[in-house]
Parts: sequence; structure tokens; C-alpha cells
Amino acid sequence: MYDFDRDLPEGKPDDAHWAIYTRKKEGGPARWAGYLDAVDVPLALQYAREHYGQDEACTGILIHRHEALTDSEYGIDPIAGGDACGDDGEAWIVFTQRRRGMIHIEAGSVHAPDADTAVSRARSAFADGHISNIRVVRDVDCHQTSPDELAIWRDHDMSYKLARGYSKNVRAKWAQFRNKTDFDQYAREDIKDHY
Amino acid sequence: MSGAANPVEPLCPCEGEDPDKVAQFEQHIAEGVHIEPGDWMPEAYRMGMIGMAEHHANSEIIGALPEGEWITRAPSLRRKLALTAKVQDEVGHGQMLYRVSQELGKSRDDMLRDLITGKTKYHNCFNYPAPTWGDIAMIQWLIDGAAIMNQKTLAEGAYGPYVRTMNRINMEEAFHFKSGEDMVLTLMSGTKGQKRMTQEAFDRWWSISLMFFGPHDKPNAEQRPAMKWRMKVEKNDSLRQRFVDRFAPAAKDLGLIINVCQKDDSGLVTSAREDELCVLDDTTGNWGFTDPDWDEFFRVIRGNGPCNAHRLSLRRFSYEQGEWVRRAVANGAVSSPPAA
Repeated sequence: MYDFDRDLPEGKPDDAHWAIYTRKKEGGPARWAGYLDAVDVPLALQYAREHYGQDEACTGILIHRHEALTDSEYGIDPIAGGDACGDDGEAWIVFTQRRRGMIHIEAGSVHAPDADTAVSRARSAFADGHISNIRVVRDVDCHQTSPDELAIWRDHDMSYKLARGYSKNVRAKWAQFRNKTDFDQYAREDIKDHY
Repeated sequence: MSGAANPVEPLCPCEGEDPDKVAQFEQHIAEGVHIEPGDWMPEAYRMGMIGMAEHHANSEIIGALPEGEWITRAPSLRRKLALTAKVQDEVGHGQMLYRVSQELGKSRDDMLRDLITGKTKYHNCFNYPAPTWGDIAMIQWLIDGAAIMNQKTLAEGAYGPYVRTMNRINMEEAFHFKSGEDMVLTLMSGTKGQKRMTQEAFDRWWSISLMFFGPHDKPNAEQRPAMKWRMKVEKNDSLRQRFVDRFAPAAKDLGLIINVCQKDDSGLVTSAREDELCVLDDTTGNWGFTDPDWDEFFRVIRGNGPCNAHRLSLRRFSYEQGEWVRRAVANGAVSSPPAA
């Protein structure tokens, strides 16, 4: 039987935590995709390409260390805007969340000398009465893949890793097994699983 | 691939907590407000979510093992590409789900070690063997089909990071399920031998799929913390019924027979008889089914299933073999620390 009590090699502390965002279309906003752990930037980008660059259409990846972000409160109601403005200081990338529980999506950028000012200026620029949270990350702390690295989605048929790559075929096969009423019912439900 | 069907349920969930904070927390949940990591939450909720995401993550990385064994034996290049992508997806889901628990306070290394030493569990269905390509089709059709049903309801839960992760995972599960459906349809349109293999695999996986949603609900499930706090939003028994209502007629349309089976210790079927209860009840609109063998379920959970030892020893092998890599990478990091 399996020996649960045998000693394991020594453990290790967690690596740095990274937040990952992907762009579905070139020039489109970076959308939160997930997390990963890695010791440094090159490894984090490599893992991100492997884990998030291939799961769905993806033309670019943006990553930052979790500790690099500063955010506003998470509002139960939409958070308030403001009138802080200015363009001194360095560039910060701004992400917004429409409602609690939803993902953060890149909204634009602001300039500010420090994180708190960046949040205030981002509030003025992006809190339109419809967002629950604002997140800012210094531009220099955001690392991105170069445009040609994820050409895989442009140059190859990747339909085998998408549900819609099978749907037409699957529906055609079901038509041989089912009568028209049952098949139509199936086809309606199938759309819901489509993504 | 899998859902954490049963989070740990504490008996006195809010003992010693500030009653005003608990009341506000519960009011937010009742109003459909999502909980975000910085919010105040009862300790029992935090521990419950750690356990739930951890169990789910364990299931993803262990679930990749039976399918991984079949990558080299996939019957065509397209199936091999799809299976490779699916196995990678599952491990990626593990990565995301471990992070949900990490953010709540448990380190990833502790979670990987607790899995190997048996302190934590993974989903029971991965303690069964996948002896043929038909089993791979059944895992993707039935188990991933069950997982999507479960995870769509988990995506309606209250904890923001888990909900976001579920939405992302469900998109990928849809590919796994469609690919499985395509495999089952292909096999059932094939030769006599392919149909027989598919029926035999179906016999092995039908009762496992019924067990997938966990044991029967305890009385007052809605008032217990797991549902009251929207860690899960639907009862095991209602999910199971919904699964049967969708898959029993589909299996019958394909020409598969729904059998009640006896299995030996290695998980292979020794005898089968058609499930006479598996008919549509016109008054309720639900399909009947014979309850799976719950004694078997608890026996397997306790570590005595056909593949428990095999799965865990492979996990341990990979943890031990990876030690020098982790050490090398960690030492590298000391000499060039990542920019904060």
C-alpha cells in the first residue's frame, strides 16, 4: 500500500506571485486571465505563454507582480470619481473592474508621482459611476510579450482547443442519432455551452 | 475538470467572531454582493474557501494523470493535439486554484505536500482506471460534462477570486466536453468493436459520474454554512438529477445501455444488468436511476480504491524528482531578485 508517512524532501517558500492579463485582439485591452508563481520576469513570461497564451485566442500577454498593484476600495456601490488631475510623474497602467466578482480590464493610463496620486487621478479619469474598483500598476513594473511571440493564433489552425472547433461536427453526428424534435432541443442547449 | 462538491462544514462557524461583522457579511452575501480578498470574512469562511479551492486544485492535477497516460496512444494527430492541450489546461486550472487558496493564507508547497501525504483529498473519480481509449472519451464526455454542470453553479457563488477562476475554467471545460462528445459520437458511429469498447467504458464510468456530485445532501443543506454563505449554490442531489436528465437520454439515443454494474477491486466490471429504473417519469419530467454504491464511494475516499496508491505515488515521484529544479531555480533567484 502507499506509504503516506515516508519523508518528503525539504519544502520551499512560495515564489513571487504574478497577475496575468491577455489581449484577445491586437491593440485590444489586456483582460485579467489568472495567476501564476515564478521567481523572475523571464520565467513568469514563459509560464504565462504556456498557460494563458494558448487557451483561447491571445495576441499578447501583460504580467505584473501582485505586490506591484495598488487599488482603490472595492465598492459595494459604484465608487466615486474625483477631480484630481495632473500629468507630472511617471506612467501608470490603469485597470478597472465593473462589478465585484468580475475581472479587471485595462482602461488606459495616467501619470503620477506616487501610487496614491495615481489612484486618485485614475478615479477622476475612469470612475464613470459604473465601476467597483480601480487598480494601478507602474508602467515599468508591467512586462509584456513582444507582438510576434504569440503569432501561433494567427498562423495555425487552433480550432482543436476550442469548443466551437467541434460544435458543427458534433451537431452533424447527432443528427444521425436523433429525431428532429430532440435534435432541435439539443441544438438550442448546445449554444449555451458554446463560449 | 472537477468540482469541489463538499467544502468543509464547521459546526460552530462563527464562534468568537464579532456578531455585527458577521451580520453585515451575511447580509452582503444574501444581497448577491461578491466577497473580495481584502474584505472582512469569518475565519470559518476563509478556512472553508481554502479547503474548497485546494480540493479542487488537487483534483485538477491528479485528474490530469489518467489522461496523460493516453497522450502517446491517441488514435490520430488531431486527437493527440487535443488531449495534450486538455491535460495542459487541467494543470493550468490547478495553478489558478492553488493561487486562490494561497491568497487566503496557505502556501502552495504546503498544499502539494499535504496532497502527497494524504492530509488532503482530491476528487474520488480519479481513483479509477482508464484501461481503453473509450475511457478517455467517457472521462471527457461524462466527467467533464458533470464538472461543467457543477462549475457553472460554483461560478454563481460569492467569493470573487473563485468565481473569476470558475468562469475562465468553464470556457476551457467547454472544449474538453465538446471534444469528448465528438469522441463518443465517433466511436458509436464506428465498428462493432468500437461500440463494444464504448459500452464497456460507459459501464465503468456511469456510476462514477453519479457519485461525482458527492453523497446525498444532509438535512437543511440550505441553512448550513456552505450554502448559506454561497460557497456552493446548488445541492448535490439536484445537480445529480440534472446530470441524469441530460445524459441518460443522450446515452440511450446513442445506443448505449445504462447498466447497474458490480466491480472488482481493480475497478473492472464483473457483472452488469440493465437499470430498470432508468426511464422518463412523465409526471415529473425527470429520469430515474439506481443510486450508486455509496459503500464503495466511502471505501475509495478512505484510500482503498483501485488507483489511489498509483496516483499518489506518481505525484510523489514528480515532487521528489523536481526537488533539484526547485532548488536550482530558488538559488538563481537569490542572485538576481525580481523587481518589486
